[in-house]
Amino acid sequence: PLFYKGWYHFFYQYNPHAAVWGDIVWGHAVSKDLIHWLHLPLAMVADQWYDKNGVWTGSATILADGKVVMLYTGSTTENVQVQNLAYPADHSDPLLINWVKYSGNPVLVPPPGILDKDFRDPTTAWLTSEGKWRITIGSKINKTGIALVYDTKDFINYELLDGVLHAVPGTGMWECVDFFPVSKTEENGLDTSVNGPSVKHVVKASLDDDRHDYYSIGTYHEKNGTWVPDEPKIDVGIGLRYDYGIYYAAKTFYDQNKNRRVLWGWIGESDSEAADMQKGWASVQSIPRTILFDKKTGTHLLQWPVEEIESLRLKSYEFNQVKVQAGSVVPLDVGPATQLDIIAEFEMDKEALEKTTGSNVTFSCSSSGGTIDRGALGPFGLLVLADDSLSEQTPVYFYIAKGSDGKLKTFFCNDQSRSSVASDVNKQIYGNLVPVLEGEKLSLRVLVDHSIVESFAQGGRTVITSRVYPTKAIYGAAKLFLFNNATEASVSASLRIWQMNSAFIRPYPNNKESQ
Amino acid sequence: MTKIVSLLILEVVFCLTFFTVSYSDINLIQTTCKKTPFYDLCVLTLKSDPRSSTADVSGLARIVADSVNAKAIATLNQISALLKSVKDPTLEKALEGCIVSYNTIIQADIPVAIDAIEKNNPKFAVQSATDAGNEAQACENSFAEKPSNSPIFSGNKAVHDLSVVLQSIASLLL
Repeated sequence: PLFYKGWYHFFYQYNPHAAVWGDIVWGHAVSKDLIHWLHLPLAMVADQWYDKNGVWTGSATILADGKVVMLYTGSTTENVQVQNLAYPADHSDPLLINWVKYSGNPVLVPPPGILDKDFRDPTTAWLTSEGKWRITIGSKINKTGIALVYDTKDFINYELLDGVLHAVPGTGMWECVDFFPVSKTEENGLDTSVNGPSVKHVVKASLDDDRHDYYSIGTYHEKNGTWVPDEPKIDVGIGLRYDYGIYYAAKTFYDQNKNRRVLWGWIGESDSEAADMQKGWASVQSIPRTILFDKKTGTHLLQWPVEEIESLRLKSYEFNQVKVQAGSVVPLDVGPATQLDIIAEFEMDKEALEKTTGSNVTFSCSSSGGTIDRGALGPFGLLVLADDSLSEQTPVYFYIAKGSDGKLKTFFCNDQSRSSVASDVNKQIYGNLVPVLEGEKLSLRVLVDHSIVESFAQGGRTVITSRVYPTKAIYGAAKLFLFNNATEASVSASLRIWQMNSAFIRPYPNNKESQ
Repeated sequence: MTKIVSLLILEVVFCLTFFTVSYSDINLIQTTCKKTPFYDLCVLTLKSDPRSSTADVSGLARIVADSVNAKAIATLNQISALLKSVKDPTLEKALEGCIVSYNTIIQADIPVAIDAIEKNNPKFAVQSATDAGNEAQACENSFAEKPSNSPIFSGNKAVHDLSVVLQSIASLLL
């Protein structure tokens, strides 16, 4: 993704022939605001020996003179993963419709010691202090995930650095590696080449083994092209995830238009492929999210839907200090509840928080029974995409656990177990711990869109994306509720909820191919 | 005497070498199948395919994928035959649903799994194999007569279990 001559560009992995993975080529769409998109013709297809078996993931780099170069992985006729260079056929075309592949491709092949099938997804390049461009490419050696580093002056000839950017044993193949700076102090994004004392660097990898995106914050050592995590316990692949739901192969780009770093993620389907074939499509992209360093925890990133999403807001509803007693459900009348933007704050009954006896029973969202598992201080939150009788419901909620030392731990979960009466959909419970600091209220933002729920706790410190497929809680029959299934504590909630308009995504008007 | 001894030694060496070659392929089949929940089914399926004697793990995955496909086609034929003479509307509905499930397995899941194995992007093979198992299970679950089995129980079970085997072997390729 990139911003170029007034347009945001999105290039994506696309199968033009079926609603399943295969025949991968580059789809292309543009937007002025990251929300209203226009489809353009395919940018690149598998027409060369070096990408015949797949035009896979790549990244754009904007050069000093404003020109764009694209590096991408091709799967050759022999199924070898190689890196190729491509550039716009016409740099003055703001829509970047046509692309040219460099005649000398591939520019990189797997180096010695790296298998043909473990070399893919080159990153956006950043400048070194010597004025060279540097990129990183994920790989693995046995079960150790690694990121290789290359320097180049022209994107054609490369030198492989000794050693790797970083490696973590046991994490397996690192796909879609991303490497970028975040400001420790400012509330804006940074160009990928920025470095300095007030900057931290993030390494992110998509783990092939478990299909989750992990990140870690640390320090970049420019001289030898290495990176060290601040907290080795939460190193890449063993610590924090961008998203605790169905969210993968995400990548960021620096948006020079609004001086922010924006994150895109692939949200797959969690229904059956039979359903995908019948509906004729599969997979969606998340609403783009801004990324900021969380100054308060120092260990987390904050993700938040881009502000342009607010342009879809229609009628709003406000609810103040709604009391939800232990073991109760409160309907929220907001009209049809399939396209919503919800901002909520929860306050738990202080007495209950103090009086509850702690225990050393460990809790985790995924191994719990979902919202039917009642604790003294949770679960409580929202029921989205629920029907009147609550036979279908998707809880987005908090669960507070008190340890035997009296300390509180807050968990943020999405429970899909009763999201639909259909039997061929995913019914897991997603979620993780969310750090809640002294004096913070519990806060939630939820974007509901028919079968997609993106939920953000504590300003985006912990995020969960779910795909749900209700059969009854659809269109006019979908409702919204507050719930509190704790046994002891009551909770009070204040909310602002907006009906959301559709984004009306369509082909670009003068696009002959799409007519 | 020495000639006979040399011949004997040569013969023994020859036999040992031959034995060692086939022992190591069986070894790969055994170690691979031990990592699946259906060891016997896995070993039987692989051994009955001549390709397994020279296959690596990727090749073994391919053999299992082909076997899922074959069993799915056979089960689909069975379903079609039953549909021709079915009278009960509930049974008819279940069978029609199974046609959809099996078409998905044959037209989407298995081709994607084979493609993913060939292109060395095994996670899509894992995902497709999981889906194939789910489709077979969904088909079995759609028949009303519980707790007894559906008329195509053995087909559904074979496809389901082999899909799980495929899923396990594809996971080894990650």
